[in-house]
Amino acid sequence: MTDRREIPDTPLFDRDVNRQGYALNKFAMSLGRPDNRAAYKADEDAYLARFGLGPATTAAVKARDYAEMVRLGGNLFFILKISAVDPTPITAIGAAQVGMDHDRFLKERLGK
Amino acid sequence: MPQQWMRDHKPDIAVVIFNDHGNSFFLDRVPTFAVGVADSYKPVDEGWGPRAIPDFDGAADLGWHFADRLVERHFDPLICREIEVDHGLQVPMELFCGRPAERWPVKVLPIWVNTIQFPIPTPQRCWDMGVMLREAIESFPGDDRVVIMGTGGLSHQLQGRRAGFLNPAADRDWLATIGPDPDRWRGMNREDYVETFGSEGAELMMWLVMRGAMNREVRTLHTHYHVPASMTGAGCVVMENA
Ligand SMILES: [Fe+2]
Repeated sequence: MTDRREIPDTPLFDRDVNRQGYALNKFAMSLGRPDNRAAYKADEDAYLARFGLGPATTAAVKARDYAEMVRLGGNLFFILKISAVDPTPITAIGAAQVGMDHDRFLKERLGK
Repeated sequence: MPQQWMRDHKPDIAVVIFNDHGNSFFLDRVPTFAVGVADSYKPVDEGWGPRAIPDFDGAADLGWHFADRLVERHFDPLICREIEVDHGLQVPMELFCGRPAERWPVKVLPIWVNTIQFPIPTPQRCWDMGVMLREAIESFPGDDRVVIMGTGGLSHQLQGRRAGFLNPAADRDWLATIGPDPDRWRGMNREDYVETFGSEGAELMMWLVMRGAMNREVRTLHTHYHVPASMTGAGCVVMENA
């Protein structure tokens, strides 16, 4: 652990989160290549099995549960690549983490 | 205005200080600072295929010169000979150059700063790198004209229950004072940045590399602010040494 100050509701990507989410982020990073995206789309289970994600993380990925992926150590910059394969607006990913519906999130947080 | 400034001043090289967003660097190797010395840089595939823009010609000689000066002064970056660049470099270049059909009007010297995985560098260290950058540009032989683009989104947070956090008052304060009073910002710590500008808004400290490379006194020629661009405060300031 570090002696960093905690900032409420703001997870920082530090060593603990990094350790926990490494395999998930590695899987997500792999989707930066077109051949990997094609393989993932062709057989999601087989593709995920290559990365040793564990049951909770695998379930979160398959459910596109971004809040849970972040809780399990996913970093948004990597897991966004999942939304490139299966389109989800980044604002919807934000809303899911806050636990608000999308329209309310757009209005209350982003003033749209 | 930024594009008009480029047309009027015709720089030869753009030094672009930016962070990779999990595209060219994975978590297997995370350089705190990296300097590009390649002859050319391709746009990276961020998941949707590479964006349809020309490759960037690299200012390799200035890159090596900068790397030499940095290491002599005990500042030790990763030196990158073959690497692709993500939207962190592409978007500011388009803001200043438009989107050319074939060729960018300037060569680029990319400088990557880790703003994703803690420990990220301190604001003061970003400033110090700017001071080194100025020394390198001034001691570089020849008469190339250089523009420095310090980049990074203003307030934004993409993760956690505070996702969607924006701080337009702090953003406006930053834009108004980064020219005349940068010491305030350079004296803040990393947590202050995260608290004030959001977990991803801490990128803003990369502007300090640019500001540290400039004179104490600068002229602010142009300021623009828009919120939100997607989930981010977006702004641009054009400054010249006074
Ligand atoms: Fe960014």
